[in-house]
Amino acid sequence: MSAYRAPLKEMRFLVHELVGLKRLAELPQWAEITPDLLDQILDEAARFAEGVLSPLNAIGDRIGSIRSDDGSVTTPPGFKEAYQQFVEAGWNSIATPQEFEGQGLPRAIGTPVSEMWHGSNVAFTLCPLLTQGAIEAIHIAGSEALKQQYLPRMVSGEWAGTMNLTEPQAGSDLAALRTKAIPNGDHYLLHGQKIYITYGEQDFTSNIIHLVLARTPGAPAGIKGISLFLVPKFLVNEDGSLGARNDVHCVSLENKLGIHASPTCVMAYGDQGGAMGYLVGEENRGLEYMFIMMNAARFSVGMEGVGLAEAAYQHALKYARERVQGTPTGTDSHQRSSILGHPDVRRMLLTMRAHVEAGRAMAYQGSLYLDLAAHHPDASVRADYQTRVDVFIPVIKAWNTEMAVNMASLGIQVHGGMGYIEETGAAQFLRDARITSIYEGTTGIQCNDLIGRKVMRDQGRAMFALLAELEQELSAHLSAAHELEGSQIEASLKACDASSLKLFSELKVILNAAMVAVHTLKRATEWVVATSVDRSRHPEIFAGAWPYLKLTGNVLGGVMMAKAAQHSAQHLSAKEGDIDFFEAKIRTAHFFAFHVLSENEGLLATLTQGGQSIIDFPPNAF
Amino acid sequence: MKVVVALKRVIDYNVKIRVKTDGTGVETANVKMSMNPFDEIALEEAVRLKEAGIVSEVIAVTLGTQACQDVLRTALAVGADRVVLIETDVELQPLAVATCLKAFVQKEQPRLVLLGKQAIDDDANQTGQMLAALLGWAQATNAFKLEIAGDHATVTREIDGGLETLEASLPVIVTADLRLNTPRYATLPNIMKAKKKTIESLLPADLGVDPSPRLKTLLVSDPPVRKPGIVVNSVTELVEKLRNEARVI
Amino acid sequence: MTTLVIAEHSNLTLRASTLNTIAAALQLGEPVSVLVAGYGADMAAQEASLVVGVHQVLHADAPHYAEQLAEEMAVLIQKLATDFTTLIAPATVFGRNLLPRVAALLDIAPITDILAIESNDTFVRPIYAGNALAKVQTLETKKVLSVRPTSFEATAAQGGNASVVKIEACAAVRLSQFKSRDLASSDRPELAGARVVISGGRGLQSGENFQMLEALADKLGAAIGASRAAVDAGYVPNDYQVGQTGKIVAPELYIAVGISGAVQHLAGMKDSKVIVAINKDPDAPIFQVADYGLVADLFQAIPELTAAL
Ligand SMILES: Cc1cc2nc3c(=O)[nH]c(=O)nc-3n(C[C@H](O)[C@H](O)[C@H](O)COP(=O)(O)OP(=O)(O)OC[C@H]3O[C@@H](n4cnc5c(N)ncnc54)[C@H](O)[C@@H]3O)c2cc1C
Repeated sequence: MSAYRAPLKEMRFLVHELVGLKRLAELPQWAEITPDLLDQILDEAARFAEGVLSPLNAIGDRIGSIRSDDGSVTTPPGFKEAYQQFVEAGWNSIATPQEFEGQGLPRAIGTPVSEMWHGSNVAFTLCPLLTQGAIEAIHIAGSEALKQQYLPRMVSGEWAGTMNLTEPQAGSDLAALRTKAIPNGDHYLLHGQKIYITYGEQDFTSNIIHLVLARTPGAPAGIKGISLFLVPKFLVNEDGSLGARNDVHCVSLENKLGIHASPTCVMAYGDQGGAMGYLVGEENRGLEYMFIMMNAARFSVGMEGVGLAEAAYQHALKYARERVQGTPTGTDSHQRSSILGHPDVRRMLLTMRAHVEAGRAMAYQGSLYLDLAAHHPDASVRADYQTRVDVFIPVIKAWNTEMAVNMASLGIQVHGGMGYIEETGAAQFLRDARITSIYEGTTGIQCNDLIGRKVMRDQGRAMFALLAELEQELSAHLSAAHELEGSQIEASLKACDASSLKLFSELKVILNAAMVAVHTLKRATEWVVATSVDRSRHPEIFAGAWPYLKLTGNVLGGVMMAKAAQHSAQHLSAKEGDIDFFEAKIRTAHFFAFHVLSENEGLLATLTQGGQSIIDFPPNAF
Repeated sequence: MKVVVALKRVIDYNVKIRVKTDGTGVETANVKMSMNPFDEIALEEAVRLKEAGIVSEVIAVTLGTQACQDVLRTALAVGADRVVLIETDVELQPLAVATCLKAFVQKEQPRLVLLGKQAIDDDANQTGQMLAALLGWAQATNAFKLEIAGDHATVTREIDGGLETLEASLPVIVTADLRLNTPRYATLPNIMKAKKKTIESLLPADLGVDPSPRLKTLLVSDPPVRKPGIVVNSVTELVEKLRNEARVI
Repeated sequence: MTTLVIAEHSNLTLRASTLNTIAAALQLGEPVSVLVAGYGADMAAQEASLVVGVHQVLHADAPHYAEQLAEEMAVLIQKLATDFTTLIAPATVFGRNLLPRVAALLDIAPITDILAIESNDTFVRPIYAGNALAKVQTLETKKVLSVRPTSFEATAAQGGNASVVKIEACAAVRLSQFKSRDLASSDRPELAGARVVISGGRGLQSGENFQMLEALADKLGAAIGASRAAVDAGYVPNDYQVGQTGKIVAPELYIAVGISGAVQHLAGMKDSKVIVAINKDPDAPIFQVADYGLVADLFQAIPELTAAL
């Protein structure tokens, strides 16, 4: 049914050209990564996503993971085998350090690969994704002994990992956490309940390594008193063999809207005397460690959004090509056509396409910043890129996941009634996408992060610097576009080819629209910074946090679209490469300028004028 | 014992092909290319024979331009020990390929050559049989099952309506059918390792072969489009149409 | 200028493909000889001599031709080839296996799987699984060809009167030995790869009634499929389902029986080469994709069809 196809052309264009793999060559450990190696990795990942993961996506949705009375969880048919294949093919260790037998590849390469996993089967992918997070946490903060004992088998995929933060009373606000960890010799005994734990129990691996946030006795209240513990499902003996079953159990599975194949577990710690846990790093620094990993985790969820939106788009497009209904206005014949003939259907499909392309481009750009911020040999360069990362992450997370929900919904609309019928598979994308704007920090939390921590805290310094850079880039592109158009006018006059000339004049329109968008965001940021001087107006600013984040996403995406159009025009004028691809790029960027960037003035107005109406409506007025 | 596997780079089987408007062929520019699926199966069989300890070295060979290196890299990542590109930019037809492969086989002296039963682009289904003829070897096409014991190969072939089993002494040419095995996926660590291996390169001239085409393609066109259907009035008329018009029974 | 047709036969009788191949050979306008190489193949040779248009039959009989192994046959044909300008075989597994071997021995580039003969040296053949057609001209001194049997209407099997000439067998090369053959007679082909698929829908009204389709499928060597409605109603198991969530099929012939043709079903079979729909509701959407529609009660039409084949 919904056969996912990795958008390899698009991925290659971004990684090779627009984001620029060249930048990675500045990093010594990746100097040998060549374009053809990258192509091969993408090709093989695509084969795996299309051949193994995509065929299981609908089955996973229909059957879901099931818990038995003995507490064991059975994943949907085929998932266990797919996990085995995934691990054997080494995909789980694409990013893990080479010292633990991982491949240690940069995020700029891991990102398109992970997009394929998310697009073909997001519910499956959560298991390796969370394991990756757990590996990073242990790697960052764990003692040498913990690393040696646990990492090799987590990297190999023999064991999986989970992240246990949430409790019934502590979701967005982890300060309310209650799980207790009581010292007991070389370890601690944990007591408490965690909820919504993804892959907290499963049948993929022989052991599960839970990373758990808990409080030690006498720890300070709030977020400063939270520690991180490693709690294995089966204790591990000195010689590495598995020992006794630990006192941690999946007591129920949530019945939920989407990602049915991913078991969402209620985990009970210490019901039978205490779950043995080992401190990771130092006491009371648990949340700090989590924050180190948080950018990567949020980035990944943003990529879930991109992958799902792409899959929903492919699905809708395929249906639109085949569904025959009605006669488009303006056609003389009475011949019925496919619904692609109707402008409104094309509007919906272009909306999907343009958002996906923009979201993807912004995220791939972010992936490069993550690599440079983490690995550049020069500390000051690292710090520079870290400020870039800090701005990008909440936008990549929230803009892309909200986008995915809307695009998946639009995908259903393209299908008409068939979209609402589960068998078609269009609804699954919406149900699966719906969680992405909730976990790893809800959209609300991302918005607060962007406007509060990333803009207000430094009086907009990082944002202004970014905007100045974008402005500079765009003006350089604009003058190049003038020249291009000039040379094309001559060429087209000779060849009497007006349609290609149109693309070149559109390019200028696109670049101008992106420039205007940058200025709009600058005005928005100026308003935030100026208004924040008055502390009493902070609630009003936070009331505009979403329009501000959405505006930022539109601008970052819009600039990437404009740059893509610029590159495409260059190829077209040189008559090289895939003409259809580059023409479509320019047209999609043009669509983005008029259908998405055109929202920006409204968003600015909502930010600057709309907050007040929320503040004027206090809780007791509802 | 060495085994040679011949591979062809073709338009990926998922791609919906487009006939060029000038009728000179099928659009291949900017189209995803992959290893011919039947060749993947042949390669997989060779790698399995190696894992079973029957074969000591798997040599993958392809003919074509530099662009064909990608299928050789894939072959390395799947388990080929050595890979060789016989480099040429002429339009390759099966007889020329078989002639080059013959010279290559005489140079390498394998006891077994595995190929796909056909390439999914020209659908010729010729190269393996021609190579067998040129070498004077036994051939087993459309292999469904391959067993090698000592100096003997037992091959079960897919034939119209069933299976047929042949036996031959090595050396032998085997062409793979769909059900011979399910090819594995290349692993990431092997892709990374393959990167460090070299691709050997030869020219047809080094093998003493002139690969020029001997058939001329005059025109490539789209197949006739589906006609609107008709309503038949009786079973007799239906049978008549199926037999004489559609020719499917 | 003469043509040699390589007959496909079972020693006792000619295979149908041979008649189609002779028809193609006759289109070339040269005298047609037929080679029957086998063991104890007098009957087949005799049969060949009766085919309309055949000029002479060459009959080679030896134990090593019993199974018509390519290695043995190719040597014989190579020897005979000096007397012929064209060698032609059916593009069946038999011909596909043999013909290229012959061609290589003669150092001739063959043209295989021909759909149409344009002229004496120009032929049309499918490429890319029939998604494109190539018109190919041979520049060779001899033509070595295989033709797709379904593209050439068979010549009449009776009415000719050719001479049967016994020819000498070549020495056995014994490169490979035949061990066994296992022809699945009753086992149906797999749904996904079958040449013919017959699918039943809710119109069949019960699981027992699918037996009607089985009788028809036996005649056509067809696989049996079903619509989702029939699967949901419990008439047949899940793995029969053709459609978006079931199997996607593209056989040469697809016969939809008592299937209304919901979009999900169409998604699973619309790429079939020839689609037949049998349904008593003339407005059923299935008729929109059918090449041949028969508005009829399936309980009458199916037995009638089975009997007519
Ligand atoms: C399927 C699924 C899988 C999950 N997997 C895991 C897992 O593996 N591990 C794990 O630890 N957790 C997991 N979670 C938990 C998830 O991270 C939390 O649900 C999420 O952080 C939100 O917390 P909450 O549910 O308590 O919502 P709440 O925090 O109660 O939020 C409710 C609403 O209030 C808003 N809100 C709350 N605080 C603020 C604020 N300060 N400013 C503005 N708005 C605010 C939110 O945006 C939201 O709209 C999972 C959840 C689900 C549903």
